This record gives sequence, structure tokens and C-alpha cells, in this order.
Amino acid sequence: MKDILLEFKVNGQPKKVYVDPNDRLLDVLRDYLDIKSPKEGCGTGDCGLCTVTLDGKPVLSCLTFAFQARGKEVTTVEGLGNGKELSPMQQALRDAGAAQCGFCTPAMEIMVTDLLKRVDNPTDSQIKEQISGTLCRCTGYYPIVEAVKKIKEEER
Amino acid sequence: MTEVLMPNTLAEALSMISKDGHDVLILGSGSDVIPRIREREIVPKKVLDLSGLGSELNYIRIEGNVIRMGALVTVRQIIDNELFKGRLEAFLQAGRMFGGPQIRNMATVGGNLGAASSSEDLIPIFIALDAKVKMASIDGDRLVPVSKLVVAKRQIDRRPNEIIREIYFEMPDDSSWTAFFKAGRRNSLIIDLINMAMYLKLNIDGTKIEDIRIALNRVRGKTPERAYKTEEYLRGKRIENETIARAQEVLDSEVQLSSDFRASAEYRKSLDKVILARLINNCRDRIVEGRRTGN
Repeated sequence: MKDILLEFKVNGQPKKVYVDPNDRLLDVLRDYLDIKSPKEGCGTGDCGLCTVTLDGKPVLSCLTFAFQARGKEVTTVEGLGNGKELSPMQQALRDAGAAQCGFCTPAMEIMVTDLLKRVDNPTDSQIKEQISGTLCRCTGYYPIVEAVKKIKEEER
Repeated sequence: MTEVLMPNTLAEALSMISKDGHDVLILGSGSDVIPRIREREIVPKKVLDLSGLGSELNYIRIEGNVIRMGALVTVRQIIDNELFKGRLEAFLQAGRMFGGPQIRNMATVGGNLGAASSSEDLIPIFIALDAKVKMASIDGDRLVPVSKLVVAKRQIDRRPNEIIREIYFEMPDDSSWTAFFKAGRRNSLIIDLINMAMYLKLNIDGTKIEDIRIALNRVRGKTPERAYKTEEYLRGKRIENETIARAQEVLDSEVQLSSDFRASAEYRKSLDKVILARLINNCRDRIVEGRRTGN
């Protein structure tokens, strides 16, 4: 029963969709709006791969009902760059080999962007803390931490 | 669920549940209940979503020496708030290990109190601070001491027409400190084996324990409680190795735990004893240090 009208913004664009009470934000993004970067790894809040920002704060879209996003602004990786070139952050992740299978990469990019927005020169432990709720089974995390440190160096 | 109630004010929310509130699940962030709804562990007919009430239920303020927090304050807002950087260190110690960063952006104080599972880390801290919960209903507010809030696992003293509105407690004075520790199988994203929160106040010359409150997620059952006997033993005592050793024995006899698949009762008890000593010393050191540096 898709009887709730959800009006919200996704990556700066106003959207109107009818949703079911049980739909999660993740379902609406992926299945209704065809935004595929948030992934469903576990669906229980353990893996962090469904991370998007809601009104600027990273949250888990698998633990958020769609109707909770009403009137709010959602950002996914699709809304981070200009859609053509990689941003300096994305380039740094790529150069460091921080994206291997790529499944966690969108969530990692959301978390890294959030950190760099708040902290100028994050320490190793701040970086590790920031990505601690986002699981990666390929990289061992080390290249991700190294990449984040490089981004700041490049900007300086 | 088939119906979602989406009020824009607290008054509207309260009138929505004034009649048949027992059918309604109150939704904070959803980080605790959404997986449980999907697993059909709970099957609510209706959900009342509080997301529209941010302007009314999301605040942290200090009035005199009383700190008040609205139900929609997130764990992250607590960690970031200057008020919690000193004597209320227990919140930082719990917050740093609370879920992952995304969960900390979501999980609310009201949700923590309402969910009342044995891993809700904030409840023991609120108990150690002797906090009170303000329940709102169309009949007015009702106060529930947080120590009386959890009546059974995942069951709290909330009437069907009530919404958790606020929690408040006194700011500890400069002879006091709070501390928290939890032990699990690893550091993040875990269900606690045990957790403990402590409020400790030293006497004027800093030699004896003037007052102490110790709250654990488990004492006699699966609800958070205070270790009254251990507190009673410690009150008025000097903090010495012998005192602490004796307090550990009192705690050991006071706590009645059962084994489960996560850990044996014996292991939990030995953790309790170690953590008790650690928190007493932690609080004492920080009070003494604060006096020396004038904080």
C-alpha cells in the first residue's frame, strides 16, 4: 500500500514519491529513484554500506524508514562530485588502491567527506574512528587511511 | 505496520495517542526498532514518528545546576556538547563505544530509554546520576525516576498515552566525577557483556568517599539496577586497596547473574569486580586532578 506521499530532496533535487509505511530510505533510493550507490550489506545496521547523509549527517538508510526523510535533504555519492570527473577525495582513494571491489566505496566516501568537512587535519585515529562503522573486506583499511591523509596534503 | 502517524507538534502527538495508544509504537530514530520490525519480533499496528518534533524535543540546556535533555537528543550531540567534557565524562566514555559513527548520529536519548534492552548504555549512567524522566501526556507531565523506569527486559513504566519528553539530572559538583565502562567481545558494534556507570563524590579534604552510586546493566536480572549494598559499604570509606578488595567481595555477593551464550556468570562477575576498582580509581584521580588544576 503505497499511500504515504514522501516529499524530500535527493542530491539537491526535489522528489515526490508514494511509499509504503514499511519502505526504508534505502529501498526508496535504490528501487524507486534508481540511485544505486547505497548498498544493502546486512540490513541490520552492522556493515554501514547503506550510509547516506540526512540533513548533512551520515546515517544508515537501512535503519531509517522512508517517511522519516520527509522534508529533509538526502545526499548520496551521486551528489558529491560533478558527475564527470573524480573529486580530489575520490582521486586520492583511487590512487591509494583504497577501492578494490568497490562495494563499500560509496559509504566510505560519505564518511570521509563528513570527516573532512568537520576536521581540518584528521589524525590516524580520527580517520579510523570515522570509518569504524563501515566494513571493508578487501583493503584492510590501511590504504583508505593513507588516502585520506593524502587528500589533506594535496589541499595544503 | 499499516499506519504511520506523523505529528508536527508534541501536542498533536499526544492527542493522537490519547485514546488507543497501546496499538502505537513510538519511533525515535528507528535504529533499534526497524530491524526488529523486519524480523517480525515486534508487529506494531501503528507507528508514531517523532521526526517532526525536533524543534520541541531536541535540546540540551542547563538551568541552575540541572541539565535537561530532550528525548530526541542524539548520542552524537551529547559527545559534541561542552557540558559533557568534564565531570560527566561517563557519557563520553559510553558515547565513544556506542554503535558506530552513523548509529551515534541516529540513536536518541528517548529511544535508549524506551528500548530498554540490556545493551542500552545510557541507562546505567542516568541511574548513576539519579536522573528523572519526564513523561508527557494530554493529562500533563509525570515524573519517573530512571532507576524505576525499566520494569523488565524491553519494558518500561510508560503508559500507552505517554511519550518520553525529557530526562534531567543535577550536574555533579566539583568534588564529584562520573565514569562508565563496558565490556564486550570487541570494541565496537557489540552487545555488552556487562556495563557499569559510577557517580562518586569525595568529602571536603578528598580522603573519603562521601557519596557513591553504582549502576550496572545487570544485578539480579536483565534490567539495569544499582548495587546498593556495595554503595553502602563504600560510603564514608577511604579509598585504599583493602577497601576496594572488600567492596569487590560485596559486589560479588550482591550480583546474581546467569550464564548465557555470550559469557558465563563467573566471567561476568570477574569483569564486574575489575571494572568496579577501575571506575573508583578513575573517578578519584579525576577529582583530585581537577582540584589541583582548578577545574
